[in-house]
Amino acid sequence: MNAANRLPAAFAELEPFVDQWCLATSNERTTARRNSTPEEREAFFNAGKVIAADALQLLDQKPLDQLDDKEQCLMSLLLSLAHVSLAVEIQGGDEARHALASQHMPITRSPSNPR
Amino acid sequence: MTAELPVFEPVTKEEASRIGTAPVPAGPYYQSDYFDAECEAVFRRSWLNVGHTCELPEPGDYIVRELEVANASLLITRNRDGLLKAFHNACTHRGTQLVSEPCGRRQVFSCPYHMWTFNSDGELRNAPDFDQFYVDKAELNLKPVAVDSCGGMLFINLNPNPAQSLRDYLGPLADQLETLPSARATTFSEYVYEIDANWKLTYDNFQENYHLRFIHPKTGAATSGKDNPFGYPLRYGFHDPHRTQTIWSNPQPQIQPFQMLAFGKGMQFAMQDGLVGSEQSKEYYAVFPNLFILGSPMQPFSHTVYPISATKSRGVIRIYWVGEDDCASRRFAREYAMGLARDIHSEDRAVIEAGQRGLNSGALTHIHFQAQEVLCRHLFNMVDERVQAYRAERQTGGAQ
Repeated sequence: MNAANRLPAAFAELEPFVDQWCLATSNERTTARRNSTPEEREAFFNAGKVIAADALQLLDQKPLDQLDDKEQCLMSLLLSLAHVSLAVEIQGGDEARHALASQHMPITRSPSNPR
Repeated sequence: MTAELPVFEPVTKEEASRIGTAPVPAGPYYQSDYFDAECEAVFRRSWLNVGHTCELPEPGDYIVRELEVANASLLITRNRDGLLKAFHNACTHRGTQLVSEPCGRRQVFSCPYHMWTFNSDGELRNAPDFDQFYVDKAELNLKPVAVDSCGGMLFINLNPNPAQSLRDYLGPLADQLETLPSARATTFSEYVYEIDANWKLTYDNFQENYHLRFIHPKTGAATSGKDNPFGYPLRYGFHDPHRTQTIWSNPQPQIQPFQMLAFGKGMQFAMQDGLVGSEQSKEYYAVFPNLFILGSPMQPFSHTVYPISATKSRGVIRIYWVGEDDCASRRFAREYAMGLARDIHSEDRAVIEAGQRGLNSGALTHIHFQAQEVLCRHLFNMVDERVQAYRAERQTGGAQ
């Protein structure tokens, strides 16, 4: 697969984050947050926070079930960004300690999970 | 803007003292004989939350719930007339669990062992070679359990003929629960935890704010402020056996930039859905014995603490949503709101378990609750009243 062609063209700068953060379920996203390094989270958050509002604006133009593969990938990145932002922006240096606690609370249902 | 902010005034020590001031015995928080009495005196006689009506919206829908506190597996159905029904999930032939899937939709339930088949009203409709039995089919319907709902919350009562209807049991809370976002919910997010701790010890953590600044230094920032450093509530309400608190929130919260994006979207949809401005939006309901409901427009949740043993419990937390995700921004706002609520809830588990480990030795004979832990004291009072009445009932029965 072409690693440089999985997102809508306007958001190509997020391509390096697709492998790690384009995930299907909420529990996979929070698990990825927990298993990532502080550097990986910061890099993703810094790249994502500046485009998040524009990306939502683009995706909001279509019903969710009509998003194409690239748009769905972007949606998935934004959902992972929600989890990662909690680590970087809210927990900060407490994230390592927090991760120990959060592993005991799996997400068992989410409207964003595939049906 | 230099508008004067309201000054926080806590509930006074004198006001709280009417629920009691004496130390509370520690034994009920770890002893198995007390737990066994609670199972009978509280959990077999109270209405218990087991889910939400949005889990079975259509005739033929069903859910199965395991209720360890009563060693029971329950089958809850919506029959052909759209009415809720609940039964023990046990074939009336030799007790085999009838349904193994957690949920689904069907009109009949066939036991895998000998193919006895029941309808969604629990009636035995067919049993192969039934002439060989010595009993009437009409006596073999599934064993019923009382079921009802209020504000979307689904409750069962293991007594098929409960002493009170659900609405009478909920008292003044019933009308209020009907006004909460959870009453209109069509779907939800859910996260769960297992915990090595007594159900009351676990539940108590979530009905006192004394710990917030120590256990939630980052995620709890919005719940404390200069004039209310512990984030104590504005009011407590007692509606025996239930209780409420009116949550105080910092009028000048520090909201981070990305958080603002998510909160802004969440607020936009909450307003669009008519969930903002309710009088109950800051009420945190503690429905006896083991359910919490919060009516917040952006993170309306329920939290049920299911007892498993004297020192083991399971928590199920659900954030309720009105309507399916219909656009990217709504989906994003929900994911963030669920993630934040889960971050806060997950921070409590370890310290609750540490509390249990400390109590298990019996080194402490009593627990001291301060005025702002009055809801914990009230829960103990409500449970202990029932346990002592049950024990007295047993003694009287035994003497006859």
